[in-house]
Amino acid sequence: MWKETREREFGNIRPNLFSSRISKSRVSSIRLSNYKEIVSSHRGSVNSLQVDLTEGRYLLAGASDATVAVYDIERATDYDGGGLIAKHKSLFVVNKQHEHGHKYAISSAIWYPIDTGLFVTGSYDHHINVWDTNTTHVVMDFKMPGKVYRAAMSSIARSHMLIAAGTEDVQVRLCDIASGAFAHTLSGHRDGVMSLEWSTSSEYVLKSSSTAQSSSAKARAPQKKLANGNALKPHAVCRISSQVKTAKQRSHPGMLSSHDRATGHYGVVTGLKVTEDGMYLLSAGSDSRLRLWDVESGCNTLVNFETARLQSSKAIQMAVSQDSSLAFVPCMTTAKAFDIWSGQTKCTFRGHYENVNCCWYDALNQELYTGGNDRQILVWSPSKSISDEVDEWRKEQAATVDQDNWSD
Amino acid sequence: MSIWNYVVTAHKPTNVTHSCVGNFTGPQEVNLIIAKCTRIEIHLLSPQGLQPMLDVPIYGRIATLELFRPHGESQDLLFIATERYKFCVLQWDAETAEVITRAMGDVSDRIGRPTDNGQIGIIDPDCRLIGLHLYDGLFKVIPFDNKGQLKEAFNIRLEELQVLDIKFLYGCPKPTIVVLYQDNKDARHVKTYEVALKDKDFIEGPWSQNNLDNGAELLIPVPPPLCGVLIIGEETIVYCSASAFKAIPIRPSITRAYGRVDADGSRYLLGDHNGLLHLLVITHEKEKVTGLKIELLGKTSVASSISYLDNAVVFVGSSYGDSQLIKLNLQPDAKGQGQVVTCSGAYKDGSLRIVRNGIGINEQASVELQGIKGMWSLRSATDDPYDTFLVVSFISETRILAMNLEDELEETEIEGFCSNIQTLFCHDAMYDQLVQVTSNGVRLVSSTTRELRNEWFAPAGYSINVATANATQVLLATGGGHLVYLEIGDGVLTEVKHAQLEYDISCLDINPIGAFGREIIPRSVLLCSFEGISYLLCALGDGHLLNFLLNTSNGELADRKKVSLGTQPITLRTFSSKNATHVFAASDRPTVIYSSNKKLLYSNVNLKEVSHMCLSILLLSLKGNMIAFLSVKKIFFVNSLAIAKEGELTIGTIDDIQKLHIRSIPLGEHARRICHQEQTCTFAICSLKYNQSSAEDCEMHFIRLLDDQTFEFISTYPLDQFECGCSILSCSFSDDNNVYYCVGTAYVMPEENEPTKGRILVFAVEDGKLQLIAEKETKGAVYSLNAFNGKLLAAINQKIQLYKWMLREDGSRELQSECGHHGHILALYHEEGAIEERARDYNANWMSAVEILDDDIYLGAENNFNLFTVRKNSEGATDEERGRLEVVGEYHLGEFVNRFRHGSLVMRLPDSDVGQIPTVIFGTVNGVIGVIASLPHEQYVFLEKLQTNLRKVIKGVGGLSHEQWRSFYNEKKTVDARNFLDGDLIESFLDLSRNRMEEISKAMNIPVEELMKRVEELTRLH
Repeated sequence: MWKETREREFGNIRPNLFSSRISKSRVSSIRLSNYKEIVSSHRGSVNSLQVDLTEGRYLLAGASDATVAVYDIERATDYDGGGLIAKHKSLFVVNKQHEHGHKYAISSAIWYPIDTGLFVTGSYDHHINVWDTNTTHVVMDFKMPGKVYRAAMSSIARSHMLIAAGTEDVQVRLCDIASGAFAHTLSGHRDGVMSLEWSTSSEYVLKSSSTAQSSSAKARAPQKKLANGNALKPHAVCRISSQVKTAKQRSHPGMLSSHDRATGHYGVVTGLKVTEDGMYLLSAGSDSRLRLWDVESGCNTLVNFETARLQSSKAIQMAVSQDSSLAFVPCMTTAKAFDIWSGQTKCTFRGHYENVNCCWYDALNQELYTGGNDRQILVWSPSKSISDEVDEWRKEQAATVDQDNWSD
Repeated sequence: MSIWNYVVTAHKPTNVTHSCVGNFTGPQEVNLIIAKCTRIEIHLLSPQGLQPMLDVPIYGRIATLELFRPHGESQDLLFIATERYKFCVLQWDAETAEVITRAMGDVSDRIGRPTDNGQIGIIDPDCRLIGLHLYDGLFKVIPFDNKGQLKEAFNIRLEELQVLDIKFLYGCPKPTIVVLYQDNKDARHVKTYEVALKDKDFIEGPWSQNNLDNGAELLIPVPPPLCGVLIIGEETIVYCSASAFKAIPIRPSITRAYGRVDADGSRYLLGDHNGLLHLLVITHEKEKVTGLKIELLGKTSVASSISYLDNAVVFVGSSYGDSQLIKLNLQPDAKGQGQVVTCSGAYKDGSLRIVRNGIGINEQASVELQGIKGMWSLRSATDDPYDTFLVVSFISETRILAMNLEDELEETEIEGFCSNIQTLFCHDAMYDQLVQVTSNGVRLVSSTTRELRNEWFAPAGYSINVATANATQVLLATGGGHLVYLEIGDGVLTEVKHAQLEYDISCLDINPIGAFGREIIPRSVLLCSFEGISYLLCALGDGHLLNFLLNTSNGELADRKKVSLGTQPITLRTFSSKNATHVFAASDRPTVIYSSNKKLLYSNVNLKEVSHMCLSILLLSLKGNMIAFLSVKKIFFVNSLAIAKEGELTIGTIDDIQKLHIRSIPLGEHARRICHQEQTCTFAICSLKYNQSSAEDCEMHFIRLLDDQTFEFISTYPLDQFECGCSILSCSFSDDNNVYYCVGTAYVMPEENEPTKGRILVFAVEDGKLQLIAEKETKGAVYSLNAFNGKLLAAINQKIQLYKWMLREDGSRELQSECGHHGHILALYHEEGAIEERARDYNANWMSAVEILDDDIYLGAENNFNLFTVRKNSEGATDEERGRLEVVGEYHLGEFVNRFRHGSLVMRLPDSDVGQIPTVIFGTVNGVIGVIASLPHEQYVFLEKLQTNLRKVIKGVGGLSHEQWRSFYNEKKTVDARNFLDGDLIESFLDLSRNRMEEISKAMNIPVEELMKRVEELTRLH
């Protein structure tokens, strides 16, 4: 920081290089936060975490006890440790008691990308609910054919308001918030869809992964180009299907046959994450493998990620740092940071007592949020040099306790 | 201050970012084109040197500047790409002498991450395509069609992620690029690709080279017949082509810029980070490269771009120093020497620059004369348009100077004048006569024969003390309070009236509008009329100037105003410039007083200590003073001022307009922080000196004390090894009347990422020496210091700490820490010894500078060259609302701001509107000095409307949109500018042609004169 500030002042380094260097050095030093704690309001495993994309201030968490909560990560509710440790309690919680609350576990909770006025939850009770954040009322409800594993909205979409939903069903459904109906069903998988992601480069491209164990080829489903506008028009659907075909044939014919098995996943694909620039896709499988795919060509980049055991029964939520250099992956009870280009483990985050389900990387503060089966949400942040002061405070505390004992 | 702000550049950017040479303005003309961040300058190479042709702003930060010539064109076109992904192709229109836009467009993608190493823009030497590397992993191609028109752009995937440089190779049948990149293991390689335009893809190129120098950062394509590429590293230079590979070791250096000397590409100039200029020669036999040779040419400014012009003249553009034109001595065996021919200003790391606004005086001639008491200029005949004689008065003699045929000042004589006595006053009179007033009497002399025609003697026993005269009248005062009024006839002086006043008369003035006297203790009075309004100006001995409106019919004075011009007695004199009356007020701070829009304006003159001033005449309307001066030889002192300084007489021309004047004081080291202490008349600076002589570059840091007048080092306090000064403040503490310099430092250990130790040093200035009074160790770098309620507030790493100034028992003093606060703070409040956060801006920005505009409004500058203002909502209903800073203004400045400071570059006067407008000054990395002024709402609305209309009339170069350029832009969002106005655009109204002004006037429904008046008022902010 010191050096960079000086270089920037002299005009030796470009300001964007300054910010990326600082972010990089900060993210490489993240540890369990010594100044920020989130007081979890959940009584079940935390399955989904997301900080809103507009203000970068509100953390949305969905948990297995059908609760969904929002935390303000900028403004602490109270302080501990002599004012040095900020505690963040939830701003509100929606649980089973709520009149429209989900009955079963919430598998994913996502913000409406344009503002914080809406958020979307998908649950094992076969429902996707759209909530008004201010009133915590359900404004829209989509009934799905099976358990919802994952819901996703495009962060860059300007012309559609579609929620893509992966369920037990083989088809991916696109729920249109604008009309309240299903805009599309996308066929291609042969089993339920565990994970899906919108492309970050084109608002009409969606990536999904399936639980189909029979075919590894399906592990990375091809791009599906969706036509803009009214999806009920038959010609639009035709165009989609033809494009899917051409895409398949041109870019990775091997994926459809058994030729190219080695590069896919054996088993369930449990997680997908697109890099910030939309050029690469990271996938995690129940075979405990991570693979990095070039989105445009559909080829495996053959980055050899260090082996780590991955949770195989449940979908996991991975995160990628803003400059696409680090991937944060839940690995059983730990979360690991991998260097995306070399596949090496850069850092292991130990702190959860049980399996970690989800990671969210907050690029603004270079902080990592993880949620696990131990019902905790942990904050990992670049450390502040306040340890000595905390010690001092503890000493003081101890001293006062001692004094009390003596005076008694 | 208010939220409605007006941003204007007072000093244009000086950082030369790009330069290129080519035939842009005509097939036979050689042009040097220089990009200075957001401006381009086009120069013509002429036998006399560089001749400026055009200097225009670009609505964008220039990322690429390239000249190219499509097939069938006789002259070059200019390709410019901006950092916000706009590009344009410009062509010179010789008829209108303007730049016209051939093509423009947007090359931004939604996909992709902007490159870390800056944007790359290159043009195929055979003009088949333009290549752009804007985002990691993507190479954008804009193809040309057969007619040289641009076709639709497309992206090609580039596998290499960390690209350092890309260039087109010469002499390839298909367009071929060579890519220098770094892999995951930090090794550097080059690779070539052919661009297949039909398939929109890359094909593996003819060759590649792995594992180059780890510092390789620059590629130089070699033109035919040799072809291939030079790879410039930190320790080696490699020539690489499909058939050859040659390398030579060099002294470790980082090459920053290169310039090709010969068209066949056998010689190159390389400029490194220390400012050394090398010549690289490719030796070859029968078009086969046999080796490389490098030799040192000399030292220049640290080059950011090098362009070889012609005949061994080189332009060295610099970011950190002055840009230079250099003459090379390229004799085959002689070591060349750099000789500076011209200089243009730029940000120099080793100098202090004193920036003053005002009217400049350019010295034309100077003569050494001691003890000048007064000066007047006289004409040889009443109808002569120019002054011929300069009468210089000394204590015991009077000398007369005249300009001879060689334009040199020469001493001459007027026989009728009494030359062995001090002259009190001189003037031209009617009938070709001259009047000289001495302490003995008044002499009337014919200006043609130079003989005495009449004389009037002072009454016996009294000597004349003060006198004044005009063409027909003389007014003089003698001791004992006698006031005598004489009238001048043809060869006669008649005493008309005699009066006795109670006291001795200190000064007088006479003018055709009527004589006037007044009893304040003035040192100089002057009656004059500006724009038809008569004023009485009265200068007091303490540097104050009073001005009154004079009613010429009844002689009443009204509208008294007092202005402080300096601290020394003022002498007033009128002179005319541009057919308007100006008054020169000579004192310790010379000032020119003039009137515009019926308001008196005061402008500093950038010359020190003027005791007397003499004026001359201007009857030609001059555009360039010097030109008129040279072409008509006999003109004497055209539009010039003769000024007496201590022991020297200087004659100079006066600038037409007031402008920024920058005086440069080379320090030879890099001053990083500066602070002024009024009480001790000193500046203190934190500076660092690079020591390059030893094998490892090491830095030494100092605290230096300078005199605020002479800028000489008075005292120096060296800091410890590894210690680095990072903040400085002049302040005083409660319960202590002394003023101190507080310096915050950091110990920068090479192995530490973030400093963990620093100091706060408190100095007092005693006998011109820095005396260390107290020091306090801190747990990190002291990034900033500020005085706060008689205490010292310090920013230490991520913490804010408040220190109290304590008196110890032994009488010495120390700093004692009082309370601290961690985390991001935008507003602080001090209450009972605690620091608490009051409000916060929740929009994350990478900020570079911040300033408080008023209690509730704060101004910030950030990493993406934007400015923004936030407002604290003190009246908010909830804690949440009160604790949130609302963004109220956003603006893209296009410049990286290092510092904001409250203050003004111009004199603040009570009787001008501008005087009421609070301003903040900022300085940027590129050498821009700018002013942000808070306007009243009514004026803001008016100017906003003017700005909107100007946008329609003034088209950006290359068709770039002003609105888009000024919109706030960062990684997350782009929003239109609000509550900020672009003063540069608004002030360009004054440069428009009359009919375009009328166009705007019609659209605004306001007369042109009114618009001009209001815009002119704004230009006085800087």
